[in-house]
Amino acid sequence: MIDARKQDRLTMTLGFVAFLFAAACWFYALKLAPSDEAQGEVYRIMFFHVPSAFMAFLASGALLFTSGWTLFKRSPTAALWSKACAEVGLMFTAITLITGSIWGRPTWGVWWTWDARLTTTLILALLYAGYLIFTSSMAPGPQRDRMAAALGLVIAIDVPIIYKSVTWWRTLHQPPSLMRAGGSTMDPEMKNILYVCFFAMLFVAIWLIWTRAVNLKLQAAIEEHSHQAHSH
Amino acid sequence: MKKFLTQFRALLWQALQVEWSNSERWLSPLLFSATMIILFVFSFGKVEPKFLPQLYIAATFITAFLSLQIAFSRVLEPDMQDKVFDQLRTYPISPSAWFLSKYTIVILLGVLILLPTLFLSNLFLNEGPVSFLSGSILIIGLLALLSLGALGVLLSTMMLRSNAKQILYPLIYFPLTTPVLLSAVESSHAVLVDAKVLSDLMSSWLGLLVIFGIMYFTLCLLLFGELVKPE
Repeated sequence: MIDARKQDRLTMTLGFVAFLFAAACWFYALKLAPSDEAQGEVYRIMFFHVPSAFMAFLASGALLFTSGWTLFKRSPTAALWSKACAEVGLMFTAITLITGSIWGRPTWGVWWTWDARLTTTLILALLYAGYLIFTSSMAPGPQRDRMAAALGLVIAIDVPIIYKSVTWWRTLHQPPSLMRAGGSTMDPEMKNILYVCFFAMLFVAIWLIWTRAVNLKLQAAIEEHSHQAHSH
Repeated sequence: MKKFLTQFRALLWQALQVEWSNSERWLSPLLFSATMIILFVFSFGKVEPKFLPQLYIAATFITAFLSLQIAFSRVLEPDMQDKVFDQLRTYPISPSAWFLSKYTIVILLGVLILLPTLFLSNLFLNEGPVSFLSGSILIIGLLALLSLGALGVLLSTMMLRSNAKQILYPLIYFPLTTPVLLSAVESSHAVLVDAKVLSDLMSSWLGLLVIFGIMYFTLCLLLFGELVKPE
């Protein structure tokens, strides 16, 4: 019991630090970062939008890893981690779409357009949602874990397509600014702030996945205990 | 290898017999396809001749894509009757032979749907003197079918035990196949509108279509074994 309390306190402290760090980064980005010559102040949403998009992609990378782990090691714990990754991935994909839409309105003049990157990001959100509905629509057990892991692997393939979509298709979305041939085109100060925001968001994402996975493990233990009590 | 081929042949023969036993099974996607094309013709109304190839590509691929879903989603249905699926899982059957037999039947059904759809689309939508039907369009359609079929078999197997398959199938299958459909449409557009030959497209859309075909086939072949393993 004491261990559980200690663990809870540690989790809450880490979460507080993660969100405080993220809030400080966004405050700096919104108030102190230089204005953009072309877009003025509206570009500042980038410090929230771009790290969120990276976290959505990273969550699918984590989903790929945990799904592989589930398949090869037959680990039920890895299956819970996969679900946590998908939930957090869906959250960050939704944030990416919403902030992208808010950014798109003043820069492109529309809230939404069927642009390649927007469409593929929406596809990623649908896939995360599909994965979560799939896991909840099946009875718990090794078979569900294996099937969800197979689906997780297939979904993770979509991410490189999303990333490359901007260069493959004719698109409204700006080409990658950070990772591109010939080096980044971004102002060094903006780039540094973006890296810090990215790091803060990574911290938040890891905390969210970890906390959710712990909760799912607890939920599974309670269900198992309840099932055993009923069978006796 | 001999054992693998025997298993593959037996499973394929069983699937063929099931599909052939009832004409409704292979006729309904065709009728659906014809209805869809007629609906397209009505909904678009009079179209300027220069837009006809574009309309032909869009209507044909969307019609074929939706009609194929009827066939794909039913491929494993007979296995669910009398717990055949569960029994097969306990037999020492190679999962690859099982997957390939289902994949072959899906491709056969796909060709059976794709060819009349291409023909009917050309008949109903093309008002010009030059036919849209060509070997290049057929090759593009077949390449798309190879990717769609592999995913169709894998996801149909996954959805067998799910109690939300009506919502899951479109939610998962359609997004995953979007790049395939897009590559097929863009390749066809390049052939019909820009008068490109297939070899010119290998480094762009057609190449992407081939890559997706190989990737989805390999992945689905490998993962199918995990889905049919006994608990």
